[in-house]
Amino acid sequence: MTVTLKRPEDGSAPEPHSGATGILRWLTTTDHKQIGLSYIFTAIGFFCMGGLLALVIRTQLAQPDEHLVDPQTYNEFFTMHGSIMIYLFAVPFAFGLANYVVPLQIGAPDMAFPRMNALGYWLYLFGGLTMISGFLTASGAASFGWFAYAPLSGAVYSPGVGPDLWIIGVVVTSTAGVLTAVNLVTTIFMLRAPGMTMFRVPIYTWNMLVTSMLVLVTFPVLTAALVMLFSDRHLGTQVFEATKDGTPILWQHMFWFFGHPEVYIIALPFFGVVTEVFAVFSRRPVFGYKTLVFATLAIGGLSFGVWAHHMFATGAVALSFFSLMSLLIAVPTGIKFFTWIGTMWGGHISLDTPMLFAIGMLLVFLLGGLSGVLQAMAPVDFSLTDTYFVVAHLHYVIMGLVMGAFAGIYYWFPKMTGKLLNERWGKVHFYCFLIGINVTFFVQHQLGLDGMPRRVASYTAKEGWGTLNLISTIGSYILALGVLAFVWNLFHSLRHGKPAGDDPWGGQTLEWATTSPPPEHNFDSLPPIRSERPLWDLHHPPAGPDGLAGP
Amino acid sequence: MRPPAKRSLVGTVVLLALAGCDSNFGEKSGATKQSRGMSDLWNGSMMIAIVIGALVTALIIWCVLRYRHRARDGVPSQRQYNVPLEILYTAIPIVIVLVLFGYSWSVQNDVDALSTNPDVTVEVRGFQWQWQFHYRDDDVTVTGVPDRTPVMVLPVGETVRLVLTSRDVIHSFYVPDFLFKRDVIPGMKNQFEITVDKPGFYRGYCAEFCGLDHARMTFAVRAMSKADYRDWIARKQASS
Repeated sequence: MTVTLKRPEDGSAPEPHSGATGILRWLTTTDHKQIGLSYIFTAIGFFCMGGLLALVIRTQLAQPDEHLVDPQTYNEFFTMHGSIMIYLFAVPFAFGLANYVVPLQIGAPDMAFPRMNALGYWLYLFGGLTMISGFLTASGAASFGWFAYAPLSGAVYSPGVGPDLWIIGVVVTSTAGVLTAVNLVTTIFMLRAPGMTMFRVPIYTWNMLVTSMLVLVTFPVLTAALVMLFSDRHLGTQVFEATKDGTPILWQHMFWFFGHPEVYIIALPFFGVVTEVFAVFSRRPVFGYKTLVFATLAIGGLSFGVWAHHMFATGAVALSFFSLMSLLIAVPTGIKFFTWIGTMWGGHISLDTPMLFAIGMLLVFLLGGLSGVLQAMAPVDFSLTDTYFVVAHLHYVIMGLVMGAFAGIYYWFPKMTGKLLNERWGKVHFYCFLIGINVTFFVQHQLGLDGMPRRVASYTAKEGWGTLNLISTIGSYILALGVLAFVWNLFHSLRHGKPAGDDPWGGQTLEWATTSPPPEHNFDSLPPIRSERPLWDLHHPPAGPDGLAGP
Repeated sequence: MRPPAKRSLVGTVVLLALAGCDSNFGEKSGATKQSRGMSDLWNGSMMIAIVIGALVTALIIWCVLRYRHRARDGVPSQRQYNVPLEILYTAIPIVIVLVLFGYSWSVQNDVDALSTNPDVTVEVRGFQWQWQFHYRDDDVTVTGVPDRTPVMVLPVGETVRLVLTSRDVIHSFYVPDFLFKRDVIPGMKNQFEITVDKPGFYRGYCAEFCGLDHARMTFAVRAMSKADYRDWIARKQASS
């Protein structure tokens, strides 16, 4: 994955690693592309690990009274599955991609703070390793869910070092997230190429800007909550304990104040990816570009006011306010859907793998979005929350976004490596995912409606949930085949992939104006920037007085 | 070719919606007075969701099929803005979600309403990993043990108030047939009311992850006539 052109031997701007090669170069690099690839590679590794845990979970639930693993192990596995996917895959992958792509899209030579960027990656890697190292301790890994509700996560009910490692791991990785967010905001505001006004910034970069701002507001709240939890466990404070001084419900407020914007922190980057993909593979501009920017800002703003819809069943929150806000956030999300359809409308659509994944994201995310609107209504949520209906809902949302992530990989892999991913394996991967997601998760809606609670290590035959669970498990194996096809494609194409050239897709934004992979300083020259798609303008000079060649 | 396809699509959506009406779109029919409103809300909003979902899916698939272009030649229309259309697809969703909110708001007030003088009050105490039901007025207690799940006996047609407390971590009192659950939180007293209107045996679960044996924290509700319920209470009082 880490193929990058050597910087010129004259080395006019010496970097700490100039001259270093191999592993030393990887350890000391401050190049945003190298760091971005490290993030992506590490995140895919964690994704595979989280996926393996999910396969154990699904195998355990395939039949009633199944005891492949004991309840304690099951609880550790579903806790680490969620934690790895959310903390160690989704956000770091999105930030890794942004690390690589954002400076290129805005015509910058690197991120604003290259050394801080490197620090972020290493904090992420070691934070992640700290979190999963709980498996190596005698008492096992954390087993209180990725949401760590107090007082279950306190010292009395979750003793041992595994939970502590989990807390520290999340603190360290979320710190890495904050560093990257600071870096991205600064980069996007300060390092745009001459001519690139804010309304000429590509939609993907816009989405990363809003994502980073959400991170800056919410991650510190999570970190603060975790520090207090740690202090409850070890220093004798009682912030979240159910004693006369503590309030367990406070944990939920702090956690979900992070936890719901987190959903948009994972969603917006991939909304951005597919927006680029729809435009390029339809050979059209992004339909309603400005509306889309405002919709993204609206999602960011509203996302701060929806957190307590995770707490409707606590009987301790203002149902009407959070219900209304949660319903309203569907509006800007709906606008996005219509702009994506509008972008394809009347275009010249070519169904290469990135486009297939982007369309797949639309179809899958749509279902997750609609079931989300249903649950925004408190009386519906009373029945469905904490059942498999929610498991189905959130996986339709997140697997939709994972489709978006794959669209991004297939789209930018040629830029990163100079080679194209294999189209045939890409299609195998895509159809395994499209079929696998629907087989695994569609039936879980019905399981939830039948009353199957979440996070149960097993269920009895009397319940009658066996058939649907078996179907779901078969679906998860189809998904696993898809991941195998993807990993094979990565390694196969790195060696034998067709050369990509600078611009294999007919790109519209600046990253396609440089070589694949780009040189260390990114650009030798930039085309004039007169709209949000300078490369399209370059290749399709408009007639009339605006059609004069650039300076 | 296109009109019949369109008609069959509309037909499919209508059929689906009708089928859903009969079967509550997969949801249980609800065994309490309070679940009626929730059931109607679910059915109504599911119908809207299915229509919107089918429409958007059809638009996406139609776009892909209609505008697929294998040769990389020519330049399609570059039109980027259509302000009336954009206003339309902003305004219509706002109206839809406001209607949904109004409906859900009225149902939610019914569900959460508490009477001044309930007929029966049961204190539900959750603990790792079982339940205890204490009938406040009759001083009868039912305690669950790991191998025998506790049964909460309730009279049909009477207003029952459930008062939820926990002595350790957070649990959640969930009876799928009541279409309802409420969290059982240490240091907090939650309460809600139900009026069971169908006699029967209903399974119950802990719906909030509460540690090692969360999955085995099950219980049941047996709803019977008022006379049978009084008999049961009398027998319980005699045996204790």
